[in-house]
Amino acid sequence: MDKKKYMLKINDLKAGIEDVEILKGINLSVNKGEVHAIMGPNGSGKSTLSAVIAGNETYEVNSGSILFDGEDLLDLDPDQRAHKGVFLSFQYPVEIPGISVSNFIKAAITEKRKVLGLGPISAKELLSSMKEKMELLSMKKGYLSRNMNEGFSGGEKKRNEIFQMAMLEPKLAILDETDSGLDIDALRIVANGVNKLKSKENATIIITHYQRLLDYIVPDFVHVLHNGRIIKSGGKELAHELEEKGYDWVTKEADEKWGY
Amino acid sequence: MGLLENIQKNIADNPILINSEAAFSKFLELGFPDIKNEEWKYTSLKKVISYEYEIEKNTEEISEKEIKSNSLNFHNAIIFLNGKIYSKPKIKGVTISNFEDQNPSFDNAITALNASIASNGYSISVDSNTVVSEPIEILFLTKNSSNNFIQYRNNINVEENSEVKIVEHIKNLSEKICFTNSVTLVKLKKYAKIEHNKLQDNNDNQISIDHTYVDQDKNSISTINTLIFGGLFTRNNLNFTQNGERGESNMNGIVILDNKEFADNHTFMDHKMPNCESNELYKGIYLGRAKGVFNGKIMVQPDAQKINAFQANNNLLLSDNSSINSKPQLEIYADDVKCSHGCTIGQLDENALFYMNTRGISKEDAKAILTFAFASEALDKITIKELSSLARDLMSKKLNVNLSF
Repeated sequence: MDKKKYMLKINDLKAGIEDVEILKGINLSVNKGEVHAIMGPNGSGKSTLSAVIAGNETYEVNSGSILFDGEDLLDLDPDQRAHKGVFLSFQYPVEIPGISVSNFIKAAITEKRKVLGLGPISAKELLSSMKEKMELLSMKKGYLSRNMNEGFSGGEKKRNEIFQMAMLEPKLAILDETDSGLDIDALRIVANGVNKLKSKENATIIITHYQRLLDYIVPDFVHVLHNGRIIKSGGKELAHELEEKGYDWVTKEADEKWGY
Repeated sequence: MGLLENIQKNIADNPILINSEAAFSKFLELGFPDIKNEEWKYTSLKKVISYEYEIEKNTEEISEKEIKSNSLNFHNAIIFLNGKIYSKPKIKGVTISNFEDQNPSFDNAITALNASIASNGYSISVDSNTVVSEPIEILFLTKNSSNNFIQYRNNINVEENSEVKIVEHIKNLSEKICFTNSVTLVKLKKYAKIEHNKLQDNNDNQISIDHTYVDQDKNSISTINTLIFGGLFTRNNLNFTQNGERGESNMNGIVILDNKEFADNHTFMDHKMPNCESNELYKGIYLGRAKGVFNGKIMVQPDAQKINAFQANNNLLLSDNSSINSKPQLEIYADDVKCSHGCTIGQLDENALFYMNTRGISKEDAKAILTFAFASEALDKITIKELSSLARDLMSKKLNVNLSF
């Protein structure tokens, strides 16, 4: 098959921490313009998968490849992956006291533009772009001068993740449990933001335990991750089925097959 | 020979050097402290006093150009060349002169030595109801053809309802060692306010021991900001005494050291009266083989109820061979007080580094940003804009980073 066909092609990915293998052979293909949801019970490896795609060195990759536009991400550092267009929205965004949101965004964008050989962006241009994206996410004035995630509520932190995504305009956005800690209004705002940022050129992977977020961001494909493997894939109706029947009916079958 | 013998020889050659026999005999009796002395447990003077020094001799001429390039070029500046006042500003409501201490006090061997032989230093006296709008720069420039031991004895007096801001810095222009032993006495009358900044971006030929005593009347506010970005050996002793109610004392420090540089910040907060406040925040960043010491003592006397005392010393060790000894000391003899202290020693947060990496910020830049962010809380306490932007520049130079944000 032509490697170039997919934006993201994960082949037999095995990874873990020290001797514990968490991902036991992941295969996943994502085309541009698509929204994929990865669902699964706690401990199935969902967050590990997103961390490995983003390049977290805590995890050791034992075999497999992650081709992004034909290039193996495993050969690149996390910042290089970001420059290629990979973005991870963290389940637990990190507080960075001492640097404001606007300075943080500026540092990220300046570096990306430098690496990509684009000229510097003017402060004015950057600010107006930030304001536009803030509006999209119904963010309050004064937010830009607050320190990065410091003292942010759970909802504000998640909104801040999507704000960064909006500013960095990634080709592939991975949203790791973006719905956790959000009330229904915040969920709607965040989902609306993600939907507006969707295009034919980019793709989104939504990692979630619940089907709730998928009512707002409708996936093209749903995958069930269990014990480090994708054990079932389907359309958006699979998410509803999981919501209704729980995970047991799919995991049982897989456990029998893989011998747990 | 060593410093002690150098001093004795100099005094034998020149008897008028002594201003206080009592202080000098105390110094001889005590001698330079060694590490058996609890206050010097982690700070050895052994090497410092083993060098050969001249006592304020063998000075070289310092040009106008050198003055200009080493000065912060504030409008108001007191400039010392090789220990003596060279120029001083005229400021309305402020009297500036060479300080002549008629009855020099001392409380240890080093201050006793200063009291015995110091003959130079500044005296700043701010009249009552006077707000000095522009900061006063005090620059001590030295240039020597041999190692040199130099004393300064300074005095700042701020009368009622008055306010002054000061930036003090030392520059050694020679390749030879300059060992500065300075004592500064600050007296704040009621409702007086001072911000005293000590910029110690010393080169590796500078040894400094500083003792600053701040005596506060009621409702006065004192702030001392210490910025250490180098120096072969630096020991600062800040002593605050609150003699009236509703006083406030603030100490902030940023220490960034590399190579074999050494700095020791010793602070003593004496809460004698009720309803007072003290805030202390020291941030240390150590690279190379640098060593740091922090000793923060807070004393709350029996009558000093309703005290609010805060102390924090946070340190980043960015190399395997750097080290810090941090010791908070609280002595509380009153029962209705709020005292908190904390000390942290760590490396940069790996999670934060990864988070920044995923946003496209390189490891190197992420480290720089986090290191800066770490120090910025203390940097924010400086209210003199020129100084905080200079401090930023010096910090980025010291950390060898380019800050694009």
